[in-house]
Formats: sequence, structure tokens, C-alpha cells
Amino acid sequence: MNQPPDALLVSGLRVGYGGREVLKNLDLRVRAGEIYGLLGPNGAGKTTLIRSICGRVRPLGGTISIAGQPVSRKSLRRIGLVPQEIALYPHLTIGENLEVLGRLSGLSRDATRTAMGWATKAANLGNHLHSRVDILSGGWKRRANIAAAILHRPALLILDEPTVGVDVDARNALHDVILQLSHAGMGVLLTTHDLDQAETLCSSVGFLRSGTVAPQGEPRQLIETAFGTQKEIILELRQPPTEPQANTLLKSGFTPSNANLTWIMLGNASQNSAAELGAALDRAGMAVREIRFREPGLDSLFVRLSGKANQSVMEPAA
Amino acid sequence: MIPAMLRVMTLSLLRDRGALAMAFLLPPVIFVIFAAIFSGVGGDAMELRVVLGIERNSPAAERLTQAMRDEPSLRFLPETLESADAVAQAVNRGAADVGLVVTGDLADTTTPPITVLVDPGKVMAGAILSGQVQRVLAKHLPDLSLARTLPAVESLVGGWTPEQSARLTAAMEQMAAANADQPPALVQTSFVGPQGGSGGTVTYYAGAVAILFLLFSAMQSAATLIEERHSGILDRIAIGPAGTDVVVIGKWIFLTVQGMVQVALIFLVAALVYGVDVLSHSWLWFLTSLAAAATASGLGLAVASICTSRQQAQTISTFVVLVCSAIGGSMVPRFMMPPWLQDAGWYTPNAWAIEAYHGVLWRGEGLLDLLPELGWLWACALAATALALIVSRKRLRM
Repeated sequence: MNQPPDALLVSGLRVGYGGREVLKNLDLRVRAGEIYGLLGPNGAGKTTLIRSICGRVRPLGGTISIAGQPVSRKSLRRIGLVPQEIALYPHLTIGENLEVLGRLSGLSRDATRTAMGWATKAANLGNHLHSRVDILSGGWKRRANIAAAILHRPALLILDEPTVGVDVDARNALHDVILQLSHAGMGVLLTTHDLDQAETLCSSVGFLRSGTVAPQGEPRQLIETAFGTQKEIILELRQPPTEPQANTLLKSGFTPSNANLTWIMLGNASQNSAAELGAALDRAGMAVREIRFREPGLDSLFVRLSGKANQSVMEPAA
Repeated sequence: MIPAMLRVMTLSLLRDRGALAMAFLLPPVIFVIFAAIFSGVGGDAMELRVVLGIERNSPAAERLTQAMRDEPSLRFLPETLESADAVAQAVNRGAADVGLVVTGDLADTTTPPITVLVDPGKVMAGAILSGQVQRVLAKHLPDLSLARTLPAVESLVGGWTPEQSARLTAAMEQMAAANADQPPALVQTSFVGPQGGSGGTVTYYAGAVAILFLLFSAMQSAATLIEERHSGILDRIAIGPAGTDVVVIGKWIFLTVQGMVQVALIFLVAALVYGVDVLSHSWLWFLTSLAAAATASGLGLAVASICTSRQQAQTISTFVVLVCSAIGGSMVPRFMMPPWLQDAGWYTPNAWAIEAYHGVLWRGEGLLDLLPELGWLWACALAATALALIVSRKRLRM
């Protein structure tokens, strides 16, 4: 049986503005039916990459293919784009929006009606078709935002921060929708700052830093490669440490967060080491609320990579 | 795909009550206000409020004040004041628009016996009252006019004989008594264009308000282009086969149709309330309205495509509309402007649209006469829409 072509294949992509290269030999692959999470700090080039995929930016080099075809007006029709904002007409109902956007995506009137039924079901829009967009809650707007992008059954669905500003229930419901779409064979490229979301939802993730995507792969595999069997030791203090106390924690390998009330360190920990650590902190006069151990996640990897990126930026100047 | 965009615009407009009122209710209301104001300037409906003062009474002064009080175009305050100061105070505090004071003997030819006291903010009122006084003097007190010119003539001819003086006195008494057998006036005023029905001013202002509102509402509605850009709707549409061209062209068609409805409402009021004859010129009215609406829509879309935010678009469009309307004749007729400003007015759509409407509805011009106006408007419409298309395409690559 023939494998369907990759939903997206980017090879050696170079994009620049005004003499500055934003993307440098970037490689990225989203298979059909795969959910790929693109992570990275603000300004890393995620928007530039999406604009390049959508044919809005002319690359300096490299190739992009969508469902096996190079970027062209025809192949762009295989993309469904879900912008970060609610890209719907606020005075129209969800149904009217789907009709209008279906027609604007090139579907005939009959095909639009058929597609509406499918998209409504896929996005779990239920009985909200006749509700005006401007009176809906954030979660329903986000679902409608996705439904409007899948009417023409794209091979590649690009979701730009699809769960911004929604509550936990709505976020979980959106996750279900995205999973269903990937099960239907759509390749999904998802940009997000929500690392929990990426870890639970995505079959592959990539960190976009300094114009390239590295590392990339399955989330658990990336975490294991980076941290091995190490665990995160998380220290919650009752009050911020004094300067000498903070220096001691830093020398011990802890890094601060949450206004110096939370300190984190990677290490091979056990219940005994927790007891020893608690006693040592007591002796140093630090009131500890909680000591806990945790498996590192994508957020830990993100922090480590961001730290390395900052170091590499700082080193030449030092 | 264009029908889909027309549907979006129609539903959005119908469900936005503010925009609906702005588009279809405000234009006829503003037209009625403009028409009510300016239809009175040239006619009798202005009715200036005048305060009268008599410092030195005489039979001639009484005749003059009576004749003035009988004038239908002036509204005199009921009391007659006794000093110029009192009249000046009444004008100053706004009790009257202008004051009229008989300060001396009307037969005195050495100093002006009548003074018109004018509020500097209402200079036109002074000019109108002065003209009315001259007219009343010539019409109702011809003996007084004659008496004021006789001394000058007497000095030129070397004095009157007793017989001539007696005949002149008798003639003046007869004129004062009978107010008859007057020679025809030196100057007579008559109006050109259609007689009866609406005034030319109302026809002028129907066109002037129409293009003003076409521009305002086109700029307002075209700003949805910016919202669609910011919300990502344009990004979404741009990857499909429609592209941004469908959005711009769809909006241009919709705004042109919306503009036609607006203009139709204004001229409906003009026809029903002021008797402007639109029906017998309906075909040329339609062509003019189509050209004007297409121009306003194109300009609105060009501004919206160039601006980066709705706030910026609002500022620029208000500036453009107000300047174009001011120098293009939508607020004050261009003939009242200095020549350089009249010339500048030809660079605005307002001047061409107003000229076209006035030509069709007042001067009864044909299609050939209208070609320059229609040609300019369509050239402007197409250039502006092309600019909007090009800039919208370029914006996607920025």
C-alpha cells in the first residue's frame, strides 16, 4: 500500500529580511496524520516559517513541499490555516461564516454544504451553528476557527497558538478536536508556548532556535536524551532566601524561579537525599514548605535550551 | 466567490445598527438640515432679527420704519429703542442679529442719517439689511431719494428758478402721497434655470451632501479591510484561490451599491420635501450616482489598504473627507471661494460630483455635457481601486 506523501517537507530553508537571515538551513517534516509541535521563544522565526510555508515570503534558498507538491497556488489549497486570532466575521453566525469561508476557499455551493456537515462534526460544534460569533465564549470561537480551516479537507493544518485564552475544559476539548483531525489523516503543524500541551498532544516536537529547528523528535525521546535518569528536585521556600542563602543555593546547583521562592535542580534523587537536603536547609536557616521530585518535561528542556542559547549569545561579549 | 464577500458585507451591515444608521439615516437628516439652512440664504426664509432705534424722529423716519416693518424677510423686535447705544447693546447680547438706527434727519445730505449696527460675527446680516434699506427707500420713499439727490443736481445746474423749485416740491409731495407713477427701476433681478419647484440651492446641496456622505461611509465601511487583515481572515483567504483581489473587489462592489442606496435616500427626501425633479432625469442621475459611489468606494478602500490600523484610517479618512468636502464645495459653494481655492477644488471628487448633479438636475444637461465629470469620476474610481488591489497584495508579502 502506498504511503501518503508527507503533509509538509521543508529542506534547507533560508529566509532573510534586509540582509539578516532569520531561518538558516531549516529542515522540518510533518507526516500525514502526525501532530508536530513547533516550539520556540518569541522572535525565533515561527511566524516567518509559517509565512514561508503559505507562500507569503520568498525564500533565499531551500525547498518547501506541501503534500508532495512544491509551493504554488495549487498546492497552497492543500493548507488549512488557523490564525492565532479568531479569523471569523464577528457579526455572522458560525454557520454563515463556514458557508462564506467555504465558498472563498474555492468550494462550490453544494460542496460547501457537505463540508460544513463534516467540519461541524469534526470540531464538535454541536448546536452552535446558528450562534453569532461575537457572543460566543472563547472555546467555541476557537472550535469554529478550526472548523473554518478544514472545510476543504486540507492535507496540512497549521494551527498558530490554538488554545490561547481558553479555560482548561475548552483546551481539553480542542485537544480532542485536533487529535480527531490527525486521526483522519491530516498533518498538523502546531505552534505553541504551552509545553504541557505539546508534550501530551504532539507526536513530534521541534525547538526553533537561532533560525534552525533543533533538537526535534518525539517528546519523551528528546527528554530522555537530554536528562537521562535524572529527576528535577524542586524546592518550595516559605520566604525568599537572604543573599548568603541564595548564593549557597546557587553554588549547590539550584536555579531560582517564582520570585526566588522556588528553586530547581537536576540530579539523581531519592527519599534519603530529600531528608538530607531538608536537614541541610534547616541548618542554613531556610524555612522549607515542600521538597518534591519530578520527571523532567519539555518545559525543563525548553529552559535548558533557552539557557544555552543565552549563554551562546553572551559568550562572545564576555 | 465575490457573492460570498457581498454576503459578508450585507449581513455585517444589517446587524450593526450604528453602521446602518450612519449609512442610511444620517445622510437624509443632514441633507434636510443643510437644505433648510441654505435654501433661505438667497430667498426670504432667512428672516433676520432686527432691532430698530430712532434717535431723531420725523414723518419721513416714521414712513421708513413702517415700510421696513412691513418687509416679510425681516423680523423686527416689537419695541423701538431711542438711542444707538441701546441698539448696539441689543445686538451685542444677541437679542437681534443686526440693528438699524435713524440717527439724523433723513433729508440731511451731509452725513449718513441711517446707521446699521453689525455684530462682527454676522457681517452678512449687515450687508443684507443695508441692501433692504436701499430697496425700501427706492420703492416706498422715492420722494426722499429724490430730495437727497436734488442739492447735488442744483449745484451742477447753477440753482433752480422759483418756478422749478415749486414744481419739484409739488412733485415730491405727490410722490410721497400717492407713491405712484414711479419710473421703472434701474436694475431688475430675475432667476435663471427652472422656475418654481425647488431652488437651485437645494439641488446643489442634495449633490453636495450626497458626495460628502458617500465619502464618509465608504471610508468607514472600507476600514473592515483592516480588521480582516488583523484578525487573520485575509491570511486565511489568501492561501485559497480567492486571494485578496476577491476581498477588495467584493467590497468595492458592495460599497458602491450601498452608496447608491444612500444617495437614493437623500434625493428621495429632496424630491418629496423640496420638489427636486429627479424622476425626469433618472437615467443620468443613476449614471452620476454610480460614478460618485464607485469613486468614494475606491478612495475608501485605497485609504484602508494603505493604513496599518483602524485608528490611523479613521484619522486620515476624516482629514481627507473634510478637506475634500471643504474645498470641493460640499460645505460652502465654490463660487464664494477665492480663485486659487476654486481651482484646487477640481482635484476633489466633491467638485466633479456636485457639478454633475447640478448639471443633470438643475441645468438639465445631457450625457455629452456630463462626459467630463463622469470621466473624471470613473478615472478616479478605477485608479483608487487599482491602488487598493496592489497595496493589499503587497501587504501580504510584508
